[in-house]
This record gives sequence, structure tokens and C-alpha cells, in this order.
Amino acid sequence: MRDLRIEVEEVQGFCDLPMRPGDYFELHGGRISIPQGRYVCMWALAALIPMLPAKQRARDDPNDWLPRVDRMMCPDPEGRVVFKITPLGNEQLPCSKPRLLVDESACSGCRSCEISCSWQQAGVFDPELARIRVEKQEVTGLDRPRVCRQCGVAACVRACPGGAMSRDPDTLAVLIDERSCSGCGECARSCAFLAIRLVNGVAVVCDLCGGSPACVARCVTGALRYGTGGGRKF
Amino acid sequence: MHGYAGKVLRVDLSRETFVEEELDPQLARTFLGGRGLNVYRLWHQVPAGLAGLDPANVLVFGVGPFNGTLFPGSGRFNVSAMSPQTGILGDSNAGGFFGAELKFAGYDQLIITGRAPQPVYLWLSSKGPALVPARSLVSLDVWQVQDTIARDTGDPRVQVACTGPAAEAGVKFAGVFCNLVRAAARTGMGAVMASKNLKAVAVRGHRPVTVADGDTFGRLLGELEAEILDHRQYVMRCRLGTTHLVKALNARGCLGTRHYTTGRFEAWEQVSGERLAELYKVKAKACFSCPIPCSRFLRIGALATEGPEFEGLAGFTAMLGCADLRAGLEAVDRCNRYGMDVIATSECIAFVIECFEQSLITAADCDGLTPRWGDTGFMLAMVDKIAAREGIGDILGDGVRQAAQRLGRGTSRLAMHVKGLEFFKADPRGIKGYALGVAVASRGGDHLRSEPSFEFCEDKELGRARYGVPQAAFPLEYLGKGRVVKEYEELCALADCWNACKNTIVNMEVLSFAKAAAFYRALTGLDMDAETLQRACEALVNLERAFIVREGIRRSDDTLPDRFLHEPLPPGSGPSSGHVVELDPMLDEYYDSRGWDRASGVPTPGTLERLGLGFTLDDLRAAGATR
Repeated sequence: MRDLRIEVEEVQGFCDLPMRPGDYFELHGGRISIPQGRYVCMWALAALIPMLPAKQRARDDPNDWLPRVDRMMCPDPEGRVVFKITPLGNEQLPCSKPRLLVDESACSGCRSCEISCSWQQAGVFDPELARIRVEKQEVTGLDRPRVCRQCGVAACVRACPGGAMSRDPDTLAVLIDERSCSGCGECARSCAFLAIRLVNGVAVVCDLCGGSPACVARCVTGALRYGTGGGRKF
Repeated sequence: MHGYAGKVLRVDLSRETFVEEELDPQLARTFLGGRGLNVYRLWHQVPAGLAGLDPANVLVFGVGPFNGTLFPGSGRFNVSAMSPQTGILGDSNAGGFFGAELKFAGYDQLIITGRAPQPVYLWLSSKGPALVPARSLVSLDVWQVQDTIARDTGDPRVQVACTGPAAEAGVKFAGVFCNLVRAAARTGMGAVMASKNLKAVAVRGHRPVTVADGDTFGRLLGELEAEILDHRQYVMRCRLGTTHLVKALNARGCLGTRHYTTGRFEAWEQVSGERLAELYKVKAKACFSCPIPCSRFLRIGALATEGPEFEGLAGFTAMLGCADLRAGLEAVDRCNRYGMDVIATSECIAFVIECFEQSLITAADCDGLTPRWGDTGFMLAMVDKIAAREGIGDILGDGVRQAAQRLGRGTSRLAMHVKGLEFFKADPRGIKGYALGVAVASRGGDHLRSEPSFEFCEDKELGRARYGVPQAAFPLEYLGKGRVVKEYEELCALADCWNACKNTIVNMEVLSFAKAAAFYRALTGLDMDAETLQRACEALVNLERAFIVREGIRRSDDTLPDRFLHEPLPPGSGPSSGHVVELDPMLDEYYDSRGWDRASGVPTPGTLERLGLGFTLDDLRAAGATR
């Protein structure tokens, strides 16, 4: 269990309580302690509460997204109070490697990423072989690249009954040994992000092209990036 | 075969039969693909004088060797047949994703003949071709058809090319649409499709496109992409696409305004691509495999859609004197859903308004409506009427040439078309190379057969070096334009045979014939050099000419409406003021550079033999067109 300090970093707009930058409270085990004479906004606290026990857990799986979520925001659209969550005491973050990051609001839907992938992986142009797929809804203009998130605790690797899946030691990419893959599809069913498919009886998943993804190289809009997530986005 | 799928599917709708054929590599190398192979089939399978809506008409869908690859903008397809609108060559192409999917389905061409006894759609999947009853799709609009087929097949990645209610109502300029707004709209290919009781072609492919020399192909792709991304027009094209032309042509004084009565629209800023991008663009959109997301998803009030291109935007704003961007976009959206050509539709409406203004027709002719410039209610009502062929819309539904013939009363001089096909929304008097291109285009009034964008470069030395005279590089000059148009027709033929986007490989000047030949060698492994490739494109232009000569087209048909030849653009049209199109000297120069007879505009036997088109001579002699 970690102890945490939760501190106001910035107020975007107007907070009428008011919370001010520098205001903080701490979590020691199950106790919330607020410095004498200070207060914390009930609504902001209500929004923060579900995250706090998760942040207290000590997890050190590589690529786990949770340690990297370190800011939360009060939900009031008029006064958006940004809280920074810092573990108390010295602690190293577990390692996090770059992965594919998607900004679907920038995606033009051209599907170049799909055929870049098959060109890189198989030397032919064939969206069916691609490890990345763009989901499109033309009527609403939605273009959403579905990518492997290279999860910290990868459900697919756990689900594989034949031990055909592993992690690349350098990039942490999920790897599939085609020779041991039985094509049972457990990995695909376990993936919450729909990133694994069976092609010709073998599961295929993004291997990050060994650290220089071909899809990112061809993406002109910036909808696909190769980097680490979890930082400030607002 | 590499690049090509290597297969052609013949579909006989009357007998409900399918025949798969191998694509002959030598034929592929000679006619390249897409438009080239399509026109080759039409020449051999469509008899002279055939009516466009005859069940014997042949509807051909074609893609090129580069479809499905990372070659920029290679998602297009061509659809060709005898045109029911013009009575000559019908051919149109569209972007989006259908072309690439057809290739992945394993076909270079679909050759569709006959007429289905009941409405059907053609379904091409990994299980092979099938005709599916489509009674439930009848009278649905383009968006609904695509949505319904995606749901019925249970596969959101299926690509659909279909017709809308306008085609079923018999509008002669109804098109074939895919990806909601991607229109192969010209020359009435949708009308042909509907006459065959074929509501849609749905494809879903599972085959790879292979490459002969991957290393070279990859290197060439990298170089071409770098050149595109560094291009001075790149950012503008991503932001605005062709909609930048509203501002650009208005500045030149040749934005077709109020039916080409002037070259500048006073409210251009309210309907410009810039305004659209700033206020209503949600995000950039692209066709398959294109590094230039030149399209846009937009939201304006309750309207949420993709598009438009310049032609639709200008056609329903400046051309009709309409300063209401929202109404203009609404009209474009309706055309897309009805499945008809925005160029022809907006021309028909502008024609009615000018006829009324000149008192050639009355409100009674217009079902009691009063045609007025800028009247959005009238504009939208007319779009609906044309799509349903109701009242005045029935008269207009055959296209502006026939409408003027039916109305009589001297309205023909106000019908803006060439060979029965309405043309672009730029005023030809301000861009004379384009004017010549429109006058000689093989499918009638059309700028996309040539797009001589060279004339905007204003580089005297380059004009002299490439076309012998400095004037070739200036839009208001006419010298040298015959040679410019000849070469650009061949570049456009290349783009259409490869089904790659002209905006990129022609207008951005990023692909020479030498580089194109290198691409072709690397992709297909077939022998090719710059000279052979350009000659193949020249041969295609000549084959199309032979096709329309067989239908009776001669020099006298290579013309523009009188307005552009005799009435100077009025003062107030900026640099284009006072200009007319000096067509005859340009035609002479063009025929000379083509090796066609000056008096008749017919390719000489020597030219046809030189290009390997000797097989056309018997028909041309029988038609009395040549010795």
C-alpha cells in the first residue's frame, strides 16, 4: 500500500469553493488527512475517490498504465480543478515502453496503416493480414484505428493455453509464436480492445515492428504515434 | 500476375451467369487498366449507335494495377458504358474505398451485360460472385442502400457502389456512388446500371496484391511520398482540397457565376472553401491509401456529411447566385443521396433561371415556381423535382441539351454543354487551356480528361522549353495550348488507367512518365519505359476518339457554347475581363500535335496504325469517317 499526496496543481476557469493551487490532502492507509484549517471540495473528492485505492496498490508490472495516471480533474466544467497524485516516499515507477497511441479525432480513415502493416509483415498489400484495423462509420465520420495496447498485464498472454505468447524483452510487444499457436482464439476473445484476429488459423497481433512501426511511419495526420501514454492530455 | 489481380469477371444479368477469364498480360500492358481496359472492351463489345439504356449496353467496372497498394490515392475505379445522356462514350470514376476492395476481391474488371428480370445486386465475396435479390433496396437512397447492404452482409468492411432513386426515376445524369459521397457521377453510368436492374455492386476482398520487385517499389514509394509531403501545395490541399478554387478562380475572374454571365461572385467569401474549413469542418478525411486528406467531414446545423468538392460547392453557390453556404451544402447533400451529378444538376437549374430571366420561359413552365438567382427554396425544390423527374424536373432530367430541345423557344443557346455533357463551374474564358480540353474531351464537356494545370505556372522559360512558346504557361494566352492539352490528356489517361488521383499525380506534377514507368516495372515485373507508357496513354486518347468518331463526332462538335466564343467576359471579372476563347487556332494546333485531320478532327490512318489501333480502321471507314 502506498501513501499518497493529492495536490491542486491548477484551476482552469472559476472554482467558487474555492480550491487554490497548492491546497492538498494526504492518504495514509485508509485515512484521509487534511492540514489543519484547510478543506477539500466534496464534489472533487467524490470524483477522486474511486481512483485512490487503485493508486495505493503497489503494482510494478512493466507497461501497466495505472502508475502513469497521475492527474485527475474535478468534473465541474466551469472550474476544472486539476489534482496531481504523488506517492509519498521515494519510489521508482515501473518501466513503461512506447506503444501505439491513437488520436481518432485526427484520423482521416485512409487505411494506409493497414496496408503499411501487411507490406512490412508479409511483403504484400492485404488489409486482411494487417495487425491494425481502422473501424469506420461513414455516416458519423468516425475513423477509429484499433491497435494493440501492449497491456501491462496482458490478458491475451494469460489466456493462451499453449504458451504461444510472450513479450519482447526490448519493446515489451506481445509476440505470438506461429508454430505453437493452435488457432484456438482464446487470446482474441480475451482482448478487450479487439486487437487480435485469426488469419488462416493463426492469431496475429501487432509486434511494433521491432520498435519502428510501419503504420506510424505512413500516418500523415498524427492520428497514430509511437510513444508512452498517461501524461497530461488536458 | 503482380499488381494486377489477373482476373476479369463477365456477368450476364439476363441469363444470371458468371464467367471468369484470365487477364492477358499483353493486353494489360497495352491498355494498362481502369479506363484504358474499359474503353478497349467498349470498342469491341458496343456496336455503333447503341442506345445507352439498351440491355445490350455493356457496363464495365475497372481498376488498375496500383489499386490496393500504398501508391498515393490509388483507391479509385472507373465505370464505363455507352452513355444514355450524350450518346457517345460514357466513363466516370470515383475515389473512396470501392476500387481497392474490388482488387482485393480478385478482379481487375467486371463486364456486365444484359438486364436482370428482377432488381438485384451483385455480391462479390470470398465465396465467389452471386446475384442477390434487391427488391427491398428499390427506391432507397444512396446512403440507405449502402447501410442496408453492410447490415445484410454482416460485414462493416464491405464496399458498395450503388445507384440512388434518381437513377430509378430515369435521370440520365444519375451516377454510381460509393462511400456515401464518392460519385462516379458523369455521363449517366447510374442510369445504365438502373436500366439493367442492377441496384448495387457489393465487394469484400480477401486476396493480397503482390509486387514483383518489392525493394524498388518500396524505395520509389518513399521518394514519391516525400515529394508529396514537401510539396508547396501540400498543406493547402490537406486543409481545403479542391474547395480552394472558389477563392482562386474568383481572383482570376473566372468563377462561373450566375450561369457564366460574369466571372466574379460578390459573395464569394461567404461560400469559400476557407470559410467552410474554418467554421464547419470537423476533421480531414481521405480516400484509400492517400497521404493527402483533402476531403472533410463537416457539420452545419443538422447536416453532417462528407465533402464537397469544388464543383458541387460552386455549382450550388456562385453558379446560382446563392450566398447561403448552408443551403448550397444541403443541395449537394441531396444530390448525393438521390445519386445524381452535381455538375449537371446545378447547370440545369442555372439554365432554367437564365431562360426565365430572359423571358424565354414562364413560371407556368416551372410548375408555378418563380426562378430567381440566389433563391434557396427554388434551388432545393428543383433538386427534388429533377431527382423525381416531376414537372419541369422531367424536362431537365435528360440533361440540359435535351431540355433545351424540348423547351425550344431559342433556349438552346443558353444550354451550357459540350457534346451533351454539362461542364465545370469555372468560366472557360479565363483558362484557355482548360477551355480547349473541355471542347475536345472524349466524354463531352469535361475538364478531367486533360486538367492542363501547367498553364497556371506563369514561367515563360518553362513554357518555351516544354511547349515551344512562352504563352503556353499563361492561362489567358492561347498559343501552345494544343500541345499542353495533348500532353496533359495523356497524363490524365495514365491517372485514370492506374485509377490513381489526378489531384496528386497530375496537378501536383509529381509523376513523370519516366518515374511512372519505373513504378510499373517494379510493381508488375512487365517491361515498360517512359516512351512506351506515354504512347499507351496516347493510344487510349485515340481509341476514345475513334469510339466517338464512330458515333459521328467531328471537328464541328469540338466546340463550346457561343457565349464563350463570342461574348467577352464583362468588366468586373478582374484579369479575365474582356476575354473570349480563341478556339479555332487552339484546335488546329491540337489536331496537328495529335496527328488528326484538321478539317474533320478524325485521327489519320497513319496515326492509328502508329499507335497499334489499326483494328479501328474498318469501323471508321464504314462510318465514312476516313479513307
